Amino acid sequence: MRILVLVVVCFVVFKFILLPIRVSGISMEPTYHNHAVNCVNRLAYLRHEPQRGDVVAIRFAAEDSFSTPSEMLMKRIIGLPGETVWFHGGHVYINGQLLDEPYLKNPCDWEHEAIQCGTNQYYVVGDNRSMPFTYHTQGRAYREQIMGKLFL
Amino acid sequence: MKLVFRLVVLAVLGALGFWLWTVLFPSPEKIVLKKISQLAAYATIHNGEGNISRAGKASNVVSAFANDAEISFDVEGVGAKTLSGRDEIHDATMAGFMSLTSLSVQFLDPIARVGADKQSAEVTCTARVTAGDSKNFGIQQLHFQFKKLDGDWRITRAETVKSLQ
Repeated sequence: MRILVLVVVCFVVFKFILLPIRVSGISMEPTYHNHAVNCVNRLAYLRHEPQRGDVVAIRFAAEDSFSTPSEMLMKRIIGLPGETVWFHGGHVYINGQLLDEPYLKNPCDWEHEAIQCGTNQYYVVGDNRSMPFTYHTQGRAYREQIMGKLFL
Repeated sequence: MKLVFRLVVLAVLGALGFWLWTVLFPSPEKIVLKKISQLAAYATIHNGEGNISRAGKASNVVSAFANDAEISFDVEGVGAKTLSGRDEIHDATMAGFMSLTSLSVQFLDPIARVGADKQSAEVTCTARVTAGDSKNFGIQQLHFQFKKLDGDWRITRAETVKSLQ
């Protein structure tokens, strides 16, 4: 009976609350390394909306917001809804103000014109900005695409 | 007791009949999802697979598309390209198959939507592609448009979708 309860609890926890993931790729280096194991807390944004600096799991398609996808993007939120994000001289400016990013360890020389987030959009980007801007998957994610916050 | 047994047998037969019906007469959603799954299998080549086998798979890939099909992709770091018609798709597929030692293609989390006329359908999925012996893989969201042509579902358009705006 105890084993059955344990199995059910594990299933519910790891299917619907803490989603186990394996990091693939280097776009979040050095914060999260390639092949590292982590969990996505799907209940993180029940009481509040995503915050700047949160590392989140993002589903590819916004329309299918219930099921658990096989693959997700892992990115850090730098821009909140309605804000303007601008990359200049390797630094990020939010509404014209320089954003302090202590988690960045690699040199960056990105230049990109200002991008305005919609009322339901968050600007997400990886921590590894040593790679060229065009090779780095980044941009505006809809709130429905954000599945949860990285647990560890 | 005899009645319960008969009811159970009847329920089992009913379930079996329903299952058989879905196998023999699959819904359009199931058919296009099977086509997508087959396409991934055809686009996968293994290390040591011969040129004849690769050519055969390339033909199978092309057969999934309509004559005037279009593939439009825009991948970060690679660029944008459009292939029009079966000939261009075949040439590009063959070139890819011949230049790679192996290629693994999976179409994950497919979602199919069939049009009201039951003659057209759309599928969105996430492609997971591993080229050569690399331990890393590429991920790209894709959108397929299907049309029922001469009784068979064929892809009329395939394109990459930007997950982040």
